Amino acid sequence: MPTTAQTLPGLQSEAMPVEQGQLRLVAQRFGRHRLAVVSSALLVIIFLLAFAVRLLVPYDATEIEVGNSFAAPFSVSAKDGRMHYLGTDHLGRDYWSRILYAARISLTVAVVSVIGSTAVGAVVGAVSGYYGGVLDDILMRFVEFLLTIPTLPILLILSSILMQSPKAVPVPNFIINGLSGYMYISALEARQVVMIMLVLMSLGWLGIARLTRGVVLSLKTMNFVEAARAAGVSNTRIILRHMIPNAFAPLVVSASLGLADYVISEAALSFLGFGIQDPTPTWGNMLSFTESYMFEHPWLPLIPGLPIFVCALAFNYVGDGLRDALDPRLKL
Amino acid sequence: MINYLIRRSAQMLVVLFLSAVASYALLSAAPGGPLQGLLQQTQSSTRKIDKEDIARIRAQFELDLYFSVRFTRWLAGVPRGPLSIGGRELLGGVVVGCRIPVEAVVRSGGEETLQTVGCEQLVSMRDLAGRRTSRGIILGDFGNSWAILRDRPVSELLWSRLPRTLQLQIAATLISLLIGVPLGLYSAVRQYSRFDYVVTTSSFIGSSMPTFFFGLILILVFSILFKRAGWAYLPPGDAAGVRAYTMPLLGRVEAQSLLDQALRMIMPVTVLVLVSVAGWSRYLRSSMLEVLRQDYVRTARSKGVRERFVIVRHAMRNALIPFITIVVFALPGAFGGAVITETVFNWPGMGRLFVDALGRNDYPVTMAILLISAALTVAATLLSDVLYTVVDPRIRVS
Repeated sequence: MPTTAQTLPGLQSEAMPVEQGQLRLVAQRFGRHRLAVVSSALLVIIFLLAFAVRLLVPYDATEIEVGNSFAAPFSVSAKDGRMHYLGTDHLGRDYWSRILYAARISLTVAVVSVIGSTAVGAVVGAVSGYYGGVLDDILMRFVEFLLTIPTLPILLILSSILMQSPKAVPVPNFIINGLSGYMYISALEARQVVMIMLVLMSLGWLGIARLTRGVVLSLKTMNFVEAARAAGVSNTRIILRHMIPNAFAPLVVSASLGLADYVISEAALSFLGFGIQDPTPTWGNMLSFTESYMFEHPWLPLIPGLPIFVCALAFNYVGDGLRDALDPRLKL
Repeated sequence: MINYLIRRSAQMLVVLFLSAVASYALLSAAPGGPLQGLLQQTQSSTRKIDKEDIARIRAQFELDLYFSVRFTRWLAGVPRGPLSIGGRELLGGVVVGCRIPVEAVVRSGGEETLQTVGCEQLVSMRDLAGRRTSRGIILGDFGNSWAILRDRPVSELLWSRLPRTLQLQIAATLISLLIGVPLGLYSAVRQYSRFDYVVTTSSFIGSSMPTFFFGLILILVFSILFKRAGWAYLPPGDAAGVRAYTMPLLGRVEAQSLLDQALRMIMPVTVLVLVSVAGWSRYLRSSMLEVLRQDYVRTARSKGVRERFVIVRHAMRNALIPFITIVVFALPGAFGGAVITETVFNWPGMGRLFVDALGRNDYPVTMAILLISAALTVAATLLSDVLYTVVDPRIRVS
C-alpha cells in the first residue's frame, strides 16, 4: 500500500540495460521517493550525532549542576562558562547532552531489537513453512496464540517484572560490559537496557515469522528449489541460501518499519515508568519527567518528544521508500 | 455454520485457558508481591515481625500453597477442603502447601542466594476448609485487590472504572467512523488529487505520531498556551473537576457539570480519534481502490449509470465489507481502554487502572484486566470471521 499519492515508480526500469544491476535499480527507484531520501539523510545525521556524542556534548549525561535547574536554552553556566544549548532539566542536568546520550541508547535498543526479532522470526517462519506438517502446526498455533493476547499490557507486565529483577535472565558478562562501555552507563543500567531489548523482541518476532512463512510457502513450489533438492542440497542450506535471501525484500521493509515501532514502544514503556529508569537517559523517561513540569515550563516536552517523533516518522518514510523500490506490490 | 461455531468456540476456550495459565505463571514468578513490601517495611521499623506473622500473611495471599493448588483455586475455586462423601472425609491429609518454609543460604558459583531447602510445617487439605475461597475466575470472581483497594473485590474496582472508559471509547469510535470512513472513501475516488495527497500524507504522519507525545502537545497548546493567552482553554486532566472554575467566553464552569465533563473529554477523544482515523482511512482507501478496479464497476459505468450511483451503490458497499472485520476490534479496546492516553490525561478508566495496578504490584487486578481483554480479543476475532460470512455471501466458512 503506497502511502503517498505519487505514481508508482519502477515502470521505466524495464527499458534500462540489464548490466545496470539490481542494486542500482533499487537505488534509483528509492531516489525517486523524495521524502524517503530526505528521511534517510536525516537519520544518517542523527546516527552520526549519537556516535560522536563524546565530541559534541559539554556535559556528562548524569552531571548535575546544583542550583541551575530549568535553565533557558543557550544560557551559559555561571560556574564554568559552558553553554546549555537546550537548557537544563529539573535536576540541573544538561538537556543537549542527555538527548544525545539518550539517542545512543534509544536507537541502539531499536536497532538491536529489530535485528534480533527479524533473525528469530525469519528462521522460525522459514523452518515452519519449509518443513510443514506437525511442526508447522505447532509453531503457527503458538504464534497465533501469542498474537491474540493484547500486546501493550504484555510488554508492560514483562518489562515491569524484568526491571524489578534484572538478574532473572542470565546475560553473558561481555555483552553487559560491552554495552556499558559503549553507552557510557553502569553495568546495572546496561543490564536494564538488555532486558528492554528482550521485552521488545519477545513479541516482535511473531509478525516476521508469519511474513517469512508466507513467502517460503510460495517459494517452496518453485522450480529452482526443487532443482536444489534434486541436486542433493541439504535442507538447512536450502533454507539459508535460497529461502531467506528470497524473503529479503519484505524482511528489509518490515525491519525499517519495525524500527519506527520499536523507537515508539521503548519510549512508551519508559514514559509509563516500566522501561529503562532514570538516571539512564532515554527519550521516553526524559519525556515523562517533563510532564510534571510543563505547566511552569511549557516547551519542555518538545525537547525529548521531537526526536522520538522525527525518528519514527523518518524510519516509516524510509520503509515506505524501500517498499516502493524493492517491490511496489508488497503489502505490508 | 453451527458446526463451525462450535469448533471455533472450543478453540477459543483452549486459547483462553492457555493464556490464563501463562499469565498466572508469569505473575507468580514476578518479584515484589505483598510479602516483600511488608518485609522491607517492617525490617526498617523497630518491631521485628516473627515467623507467625509471615505465615499468616503468606496464608492470606495463598502464597503458602503449591503453584498447582493455588492456580486451580484461582481458576475454579477448588479444592476448598477435604471431600466429604456420605459423612466421611476423604483426602483430608493430602499435603497442598508449606506453611513455614526453611530457608538457607546456598552458595553456588561464588554467589550467595537465599533458597528454600525444606519445610517446617506443612499445609494439608484439612487446613483449607476454614479459608475464604474465591469462586474462581470462571465464575467471574477475580478475588480481592492487593493494593489499590485493599481487600475489596477486584470486580468492584473494575465496575467503578468501566463507565469512564466506555464513555471515552464509544465517543472516540463514533467520531472516528464519521471522519475516517468518508475520508478514506473520498480520497480513493479522487486518487492522486490534492485532497488524496493531503489525506494520505497526514494519515501517514498521524500513524507515526506517538500517542503520548501527541497528548502532551495538545495539553501544551489547549491547556497551557490558551490559558496564558487569556482564551477559553481545556482542563488538562481527570474526567470531572473537583471545584468550579471560570474561563473567558464560557464563564463559570461548575464542577461535575455536563460542560465540565465535555470539556475534559475533548483532548483524550482527539488523541484516540487521530490514531483510529489514520489507520482506518488508509485501510478504506486501499480497499476502495481495489473495488473501483473491478469489472462490475466498469460495467456499471459503461451502462451509463450515474457516477454518484456507481460509487455509492456499487463500489462503496463492497469496499466497506472487509472494513467491518476491522471495526469489530474496537470491542476489546472499549473494555481495556487506552493505556497511554488515559495515563497522559489522568483519566480514571481501565487503562490507567492497569498501569497503576502493575506499578503497585496489585496482581489480581492486573490479571483480571489482562484476561478479560484477551477474552474480548478472541471473541472479536470470532465475531469478525462470522460477520464476514454474513455480509459477504461469497465467503463460506469451512
